[in-house]
Amino acid sequence: MASDTLLIIGGGPAGLEAARGAADLGCKAVLVEQRAALGGTPISAHYAALTHGMRDAAEVMGEMVAAVANDSLVDVRLGTTVTGITGAAGDFAVTLRRDGAEERVSAGAIIVATGFDHFDPGRATQQYGYYMYDDVITLTDAEKMLKEGKFVRPSTGQPPERVCFIQCVGSRDRHIGNEYCSKVCCGIASKQAIEIRERLPQCRVFIFYIDMRMYGYWENDLYWPAQEKHKVNYIKGVISEVVLKGDRLIVRGEDTTMNRPMEVPMDIVILSNGMEPSAGTKAVARTLGLRQNKYGFIDVAHDTLDPVTTSVPGIFVAGAAAGPKDLDDTMGMAGAATMKAVATIRRHARMTSAR
Amino acid sequence: MPINLPVIQPGTQARKGPFARRPEDAAESLRERTLELAERGEWIVQRVPEPHLEVPTRSSGVKRVPLGHTWHHKSCGQCGHIPGYSTAIFWLHRKLGLEYEDPRDQTSCTAWNYYASATANQAAQAAVALRNFAAAHQSGYYPLIHCATSYGHYKEVRAEMVHHKALRDQVREILKKMGKPLVMPEEIVHYSEWIYAVRHEIAKRKVVDLSGITATVHPACHYYKLVQEDAIYDPDVYGGHRTAIVTGVAQALGVTVGDYSTWFDCCGFGFRHILVQRDFSRSFAVQQKIEAMRDEVNPDVTLTHDTGCVTTLDKSQFAAQAHTGVKAAIPVLSEAQFCALAMGAHPYRVCQLHWHAADYRPLLEKMGIDWRERWREFEDDVARLKANPGTYLTWDDAG
Repeated sequence: MASDTLLIIGGGPAGLEAARGAADLGCKAVLVEQRAALGGTPISAHYAALTHGMRDAAEVMGEMVAAVANDSLVDVRLGTTVTGITGAAGDFAVTLRRDGAEERVSAGAIIVATGFDHFDPGRATQQYGYYMYDDVITLTDAEKMLKEGKFVRPSTGQPPERVCFIQCVGSRDRHIGNEYCSKVCCGIASKQAIEIRERLPQCRVFIFYIDMRMYGYWENDLYWPAQEKHKVNYIKGVISEVVLKGDRLIVRGEDTTMNRPMEVPMDIVILSNGMEPSAGTKAVARTLGLRQNKYGFIDVAHDTLDPVTTSVPGIFVAGAAAGPKDLDDTMGMAGAATMKAVATIRRHARMTSAR
Repeated sequence: MPINLPVIQPGTQARKGPFARRPEDAAESLRERTLELAERGEWIVQRVPEPHLEVPTRSSGVKRVPLGHTWHHKSCGQCGHIPGYSTAIFWLHRKLGLEYEDPRDQTSCTAWNYYASATANQAAQAAVALRNFAAAHQSGYYPLIHCATSYGHYKEVRAEMVHHKALRDQVREILKKMGKPLVMPEEIVHYSEWIYAVRHEIAKRKVVDLSGITATVHPACHYYKLVQEDAIYDPDVYGGHRTAIVTGVAQALGVTVGDYSTWFDCCGFGFRHILVQRDFSRSFAVQQKIEAMRDEVNPDVTLTHDTGCVTTLDKSQFAAQAHTGVKAAIPVLSEAQFCALAMGAHPYRVCQLHWHAADYRPLLEKMGIDWRERWREFEDDVARLKANPGTYLTWDDAG
């Protein structure tokens, strides 16, 4: 018996876009989210402004949530996790758990949109002292402060005079095993650098980088304005350690352009931490029997030609559950996954009615 | 130029919560791979003998450290430049009542030349290491490595041997010509790990008040920057952020450990610089390490745990003394010598501090050790030995 329903796991940008797209196509969708609210990481991690366009994250996600919440074809299940699956493409039976109670729903296809976790610098080299020094923070911590409309040193509550970003923390790092580029950190760091300069014109901002990777239009949106308009200093060099001297952090590394070691005092050090598969992504992959790549992200049929089809027929993936993605990738993938998932449902429905 | 601001001690945890590395993020377990290869008949594994202690490693793992019945793989540099270093290690074993073997069937590890790019034959390098392991196994005692350069290199050799069958086959053939089996120890253990494991036993036997002593610690790059998972990291020392080696020992003895901003930096020895750019080594040791310690902590002593580190930090201060305006030097001791002094070892008969360059006598005075009287005793020893050619000091003399 073919099911006419699409199950979407994850209520972040990819899941919301998939649900909206499915409803637009006239397909019923069940949207499962383990948190108590929709919106995903941009909401739970208190994102301030989204690239591109620097629109307010809460506003953007609010529009996406409203589009789904008000659609009669979408059945939203909050505080719910997926605990089991039987069946095959066209007729899956999926077990959902909520408040200790289990329920089985049928689905013709499934989209996994369970996203990523921010890399925890506690896993990285200890020299950056994330857990040792209050004024060493992550992009996520900085974003939360910017969202709250302030940017101060956590140790003193005072505005900083000198701030730097260290790129590629938890990305492009063979030593810890995350060999991939997380794609968004360079853009986010540049965006935050601009926001800090706008908020604190007297504050000097530095970005220490291996390469700056700002794809497509990010070049003119962020990279050049950061330097030309906002006077952010980009310094090509790997940082080896951060130590505390007096009341300031000392950042040590190599200025590879000048070919010399450097030792620079800072008030705040922001670690540009990358992406890792979320705990939810890993758990759902295990539950649904999806093949994962060596980093734990969900494996796809072809990274270029088919980035949404998983190893299990009828199950598709969208967004950062399949690897480091920016919002551009995520929205595009959500559309592609919805198209393939709805096509699967309808194909099986036709096959059933033909029998 | 260093920025001279006072250093704030690390202590209170950041508000972000406790720091921890996840066990699942640990690098592969070379110990497990070593045991697997033994099951496949590739080599013999020499198991860590009982009794042993377990110490914590970088990603919440465990390393087994033998208490006694150890085969002491000595260090060229210690025996040649800092003889009181090795003697202190042996003296500690004797005072703790732990049996050991001081073998004569041991070669240099040749790692110093390897790191200076003077030797580059992988099979020969590995064969030297495995020859020594085989010698330890044949003696029935478990290898304990005195030098961090040897230790680091042996860890690298183990990783190469685990991963490359062709190399194992090559080295097996070389050892066969010497009539020795292919043996890999279950754990590669540095003497400082043994001291760390028995630090509380040493502290119990302390006869010197160390409460007024401030020390800086220099951890050896060859110890914790090569095959990092194998080094001791303890949540109770630096919150697990840095290797606990030496610092944990000093703290157990009641010494105040002062932090300084170039803690992570090399002593200046480098992996090759001391051989190919010695002037750079000297400058680095003095300007980046000793002067930073002096300006930021002004310690009574700096403690370290490797041949090259003791030598470079200590002897380089000669160069600094040649310049005007250099303030008081900092005595440099291995933590083995410091532990022995704390337990009442003779500063000259056992720790042989007269081999050290930086003035250690103010430290002894602060520890309540009458170095003038001890030196007089040692001069009497020397006069006795001169009068009886062919004789030497014995453990009975050492006390």
